[in-house]
Amino acid sequence: MNTASQGMLTHAWFVLAGLMLIFYVITDGFDLGVGILSLFQSERSRRDMMIQSIGHVWDANETWLVVVGGVMFGAFPAAYAEIMSSLYVPVMVLIASLIMRGAAIEFRHASHGGRLWDAVFGLGSLLAAGCQGVILGEIVTGLVPGVRETAFVVVTAIGVISGYVLLGATYLVKKTSGQLEASARRSSVTAVIVTALSAIVLSAGTRFASPIGAQRWAQPEVFNVLLALGIVAALAFAYVLYAVRVGSVRGPFRASVVLFLASFAGLAVSLFPDWIPGQLTIADSASSSATLTFMLFGIGMVLPIMVGYNLYQYYLFRGKVVPSQHH
Amino acid sequence: MLVEALHLARGQFAMTAIFHILWPILTISLSAFVLLLETLWTRTSDVAYYRHARFWSKLLVLNFAVGVVSGIPMEFQFGTNWGPFSRFTGGFVGNILGFEGAMAFMLEAGFIGIMMWGWGRVPKGVHLFATGMVAFGSSISAFWIMVANSWMQTPAGIVVENGRVVVTDYFKAIFNPDMIWAVGHMWFAALETGLVVIAGISAYNLLRRRNPEFFVRSFRLALIALVIVAPVQVWLGDSSGVDVFETQPAKGAAIEGHWHTNAPATGASWSLLAWPDQQKQDNDWSLEVPGMLSVLGTHSLHGRVTGLADIPRADQPPMVPLLYYAFRVMAGIGFAFMLLAFWTGFVMKRTRGRLDALLANRKLLLAWVLAIPLPYIAVECGWIVREVGRQPWVVYGLMRTEHAASNIAASAISATMLMFSVFYAVLLTSFFIFARRWLRKGPDLTLMPPVAPVRTTRAAHEPAGY
Repeated sequence: MNTASQGMLTHAWFVLAGLMLIFYVITDGFDLGVGILSLFQSERSRRDMMIQSIGHVWDANETWLVVVGGVMFGAFPAAYAEIMSSLYVPVMVLIASLIMRGAAIEFRHASHGGRLWDAVFGLGSLLAAGCQGVILGEIVTGLVPGVRETAFVVVTAIGVISGYVLLGATYLVKKTSGQLEASARRSSVTAVIVTALSAIVLSAGTRFASPIGAQRWAQPEVFNVLLALGIVAALAFAYVLYAVRVGSVRGPFRASVVLFLASFAGLAVSLFPDWIPGQLTIADSASSSATLTFMLFGIGMVLPIMVGYNLYQYYLFRGKVVPSQHH
Repeated sequence: MLVEALHLARGQFAMTAIFHILWPILTISLSAFVLLLETLWTRTSDVAYYRHARFWSKLLVLNFAVGVVSGIPMEFQFGTNWGPFSRFTGGFVGNILGFEGAMAFMLEAGFIGIMMWGWGRVPKGVHLFATGMVAFGSSISAFWIMVANSWMQTPAGIVVENGRVVVTDYFKAIFNPDMIWAVGHMWFAALETGLVVIAGISAYNLLRRRNPEFFVRSFRLALIALVIVAPVQVWLGDSSGVDVFETQPAKGAAIEGHWHTNAPATGASWSLLAWPDQQKQDNDWSLEVPGMLSVLGTHSLHGRVTGLADIPRADQPPMVPLLYYAFRVMAGIGFAFMLLAFWTGFVMKRTRGRLDALLANRKLLLAWVLAIPLPYIAVECGWIVREVGRQPWVVYGLMRTEHAASNIAASAISATMLMFSVFYAVLLTSFFIFARRWLRKGPDLTLMPPVAPVRTTRAAHEPAGY
């Protein structure tokens, strides 16, 4: 086996898996954010509009997670097995909350009362975001138990929840109008501030509570990249506030996406070359070259098509939501 | 790994799989049926077909939703509960599941929105395409899942290196000995399920004289397909059986309660009914047809059929009575559908498909209503035969199930099993409540197709679906 080509294939799959994961985080992030925000809407007609805004896309968005699961299982079996079985409880609760969210969003259409399903939808979304935060926090702290580590995990959960609320709120700014849009603008401001505070605490925490801080961040070239990403994130943060204030329709969402991309890239750079810092490297967990090559043909080729029809779906249902006359 | 935790992990996998498979089998066939209806509408411009497509789509979307959410535990359970299995087989099984996600799931998910909400928003042809992609995606999904599962039954095209599977020949691994039969038998099982459900629901409405002109059309279409699908499925089942005796003798012997290898130049006896006793390594009692098992299992008069008692105890599957009866129930239902389809076809041909003649034949209609749960029972029995029959192996001949499970606390698995049971009970109940409402409401016979693709303004965002 040629080790150089194996290394290239492994890196290619690290990038592809990361790309698919960021597709998931951003697209289902706003779905889950909309879900969390729906908990604070007491009026059924407004909740209808909120859920209508994600009605045709949430399923495909969630599917990115399933694709990432399959890709990890195939390309990095050892990492998939290690992360899933070490984090049994948060992964299972995440699955449960995604079931709650998905079932509720479909069944609320069929039911006429609705209050109960809406609560399930909102709580499922909140729980899913929280579990994803816990999983992220556990990975960054190297699956090590401890008080310091637990505190870190709590902050990642808050960070992911507020980040998703930010995506959801700015998405609603784009997709809704009237009072709903106004309240989404207010939520965007709160969410972006909580998200930024969490990011600052987490950056400080990573320096001290994660093996990443001592090893990766001490290297000057890594540090410089992270510094640049930090500046991009700070600019995006400022732009969210500015765009909300001047009444921009698409600006807040776009800036939030940039904020997420910068944070995600920072995370990927920090974790590299490990999946779990200090414990499991990307290279050691990879499948053989034969598998990585075959998967590159099978999945790498259809990825542009997947992105294509997803974009078509967004294009088709573009613009602001108008209330359905249906119920 | 505690024995208790291993049993719990197996129990959880069985429970989530048994629940999940109920939904995709109907999605596969119902989406194909809606595709047929929409194609007929596009071809003939007969508005009745449009109304049929819209009516059955509503059941499809309800069913689809439960299928999607119950599928999530399946994708991640390999990692959570079966870590060593995932590490060992990831290079092939994980690869194939990745294909399924990227090629099938995303296709379904990406087009179901357009299929459900896109009426009047996209041109007729684009809508037909979306429906086609949903149907195609669900079938592709079944294809890749059966590729992965058949490889676990008859692994090929690989070597084991450093304790993990490395693929040396993808063609051999994908087209492993069991693959064609596995894909075919499962896909036809899915088709048959949907056709029986469509025929059954139509028969129910015909019995109650609700919109008989509407439902006789669905009934006829389903029957035309069933007259072909049901016998093909019996043939596929028979061929799968021969394949099992060749590739997994222990499974074959267990499902037939066959304990003692037949002597050369004699045929093995087939027990029509028996009670297999694994302690005794024999049947407690049996009704036997001499020489028949060689004919059934090997398609030859004196074919050698290995008896279960001649296989080491450690390599025998457990729960032989379950396997024995699950197999009989599945095969019995398969035959019953073939006979029911032929009988109905005969009646309809004799009466030249007249509606009043069909309405008068209440026994026939009742038979179809009562048949609705049967394909589901047959599919579950088939999976029990397939998976329990493969034990004690998870990958036949390569990895034993006891070596495949993650080290998870028994209490954690019990808790998640309890959680899933509650969720499944709620999902099933809700599905039945909404399906009943859909059934009572019936088709909308005033529904008119959207005249032309409405060029939407940027603000128009009203769903036309549901």
